[in-house]
Amino acid sequence: MENIRVMIVDDSTFSIAVLKRMLQKDGLEIVGTALNVKEAIQKAQELKPDLITMDMTLPDGDGIECSKEILKHLKDTKIIAVSAMMDEEIIQRARKVGIKGYLQKPVDQTDLDAAIERLFEGEELYGILKNNFEEAFKESIFSFLKREIGGEVVTEKVAAHPMTTNSSGISVAIGIIGRHDGRLIMDMSEETALRMTRKILQDDGQQIDDAINFLSEFTNVIGGNACSLLNGLNRSFGLRVSPPTVFRGKDITISIGDLMSESFVIKTDLGDVFMNVGFQKGDVEWM
Amino acid sequence: MDVTIINPFIASITDVMPQLGFENINLKAQKEKSKKIVASGIVLTLGIVGDKKGNVAYAIDTEGAKQIASTMMMGMPVDELDDMAKSAISELSNMLTANAAINFSNDNITVDISPPTMLTGESIELSMSKDQVMCVEFDIDGILIEINVALD
Repeated sequence: MENIRVMIVDDSTFSIAVLKRMLQKDGLEIVGTALNVKEAIQKAQELKPDLITMDMTLPDGDGIECSKEILKHLKDTKIIAVSAMMDEEIIQRARKVGIKGYLQKPVDQTDLDAAIERLFEGEELYGILKNNFEEAFKESIFSFLKREIGGEVVTEKVAAHPMTTNSSGISVAIGIIGRHDGRLIMDMSEETALRMTRKILQDDGQQIDDAINFLSEFTNVIGGNACSLLNGLNRSFGLRVSPPTVFRGKDITISIGDLMSESFVIKTDLGDVFMNVGFQKGDVEWM
Repeated sequence: MDVTIINPFIASITDVMPQLGFENINLKAQKEKSKKIVASGIVLTLGIVGDKKGNVAYAIDTEGAKQIASTMMMGMPVDELDDMAKSAISELSNMLTANAAINFSNDNITVDISPPTMLTGESIELSMSKDQVMCVEFDIDGILIEINVALD
């Protein structure tokens, strides 16, 4: 937990001193402290801390309103409530304004460590996922096609990313569920799907329903293999794939712009495959 | 028909839609379909994993989708299904499925859901992950919504 910049908001200088010592023990950098709402809002804007510990009762207002105001301007800052008062109602209110966790005073070092770890592990994990998912999916589809279809297999990344894409005939979607959720979409023409199915099964009698089954299983394997690769990088991803849904028709438009996603066209001797894969950061769960 | 699979979705519609400003919610039909389903307009599918595994597909025609988007956006007129309207519909599918997941957990069935995939088109042929698909049709203030659930 290095390079995390913290601001402590508390009306008691004693509490500030206690929290400061605990946070420093964890290797966090204390960039500022504030004794009231006004000072907290002003300093938060100036310092843009990664983390704020927020007392709930302050001389000129409450920690909930103060957090709400701070989060309006600092979307990436995470706030943990630290207060002597803790009941269901205040926890609900805290949660509503975007406070990520609630610790009761006197704060236990272990609880504080756990809360911070969970909040920031998510950030690091998402970074790892962001940097690695493209390669994992490219590797997974390349090795499948190379092994099963053979010949030339070239993966090209689609540079400009549109909000929607038109289906070439058959699309398969599978959901990816884990620490960060996502989605894999595979698309190809009926002809390509048929050619691939016939080649893999070495049976020219294969029909469109067989091709749908093939594409469904194909997507499942690519998704499953890629997620296993990613889970291997960090067990905390816990990525699992849902069963595929296949869409077939003319003039189908697929929305792909709603997630952070990347698209690829994989050129093979039997036709092109379109692949779009994306993940959403998701919110850090309440703790 | 396995009602334990479909009831959480029915409850979700009747809970969530009124919160969004819809008034008359009528369950029109409840049936079992084969694996292949044909739909026109907007189709949204979400993956489900956990104690049950499968997917859910929501189908709404384009006019209905526009009306829903408009109601969800506080009555703002929606003339075409632009990105904003699509995003509203996508969010609705997410809310409905997340709510169904909570309803499952009340029956001690834990499931997690994936983000939605949205498709638009005419006569979209859908193959779900299971041969028997549970289907419910709702009439919500005159808008038809079909929910297809394939869960094992």
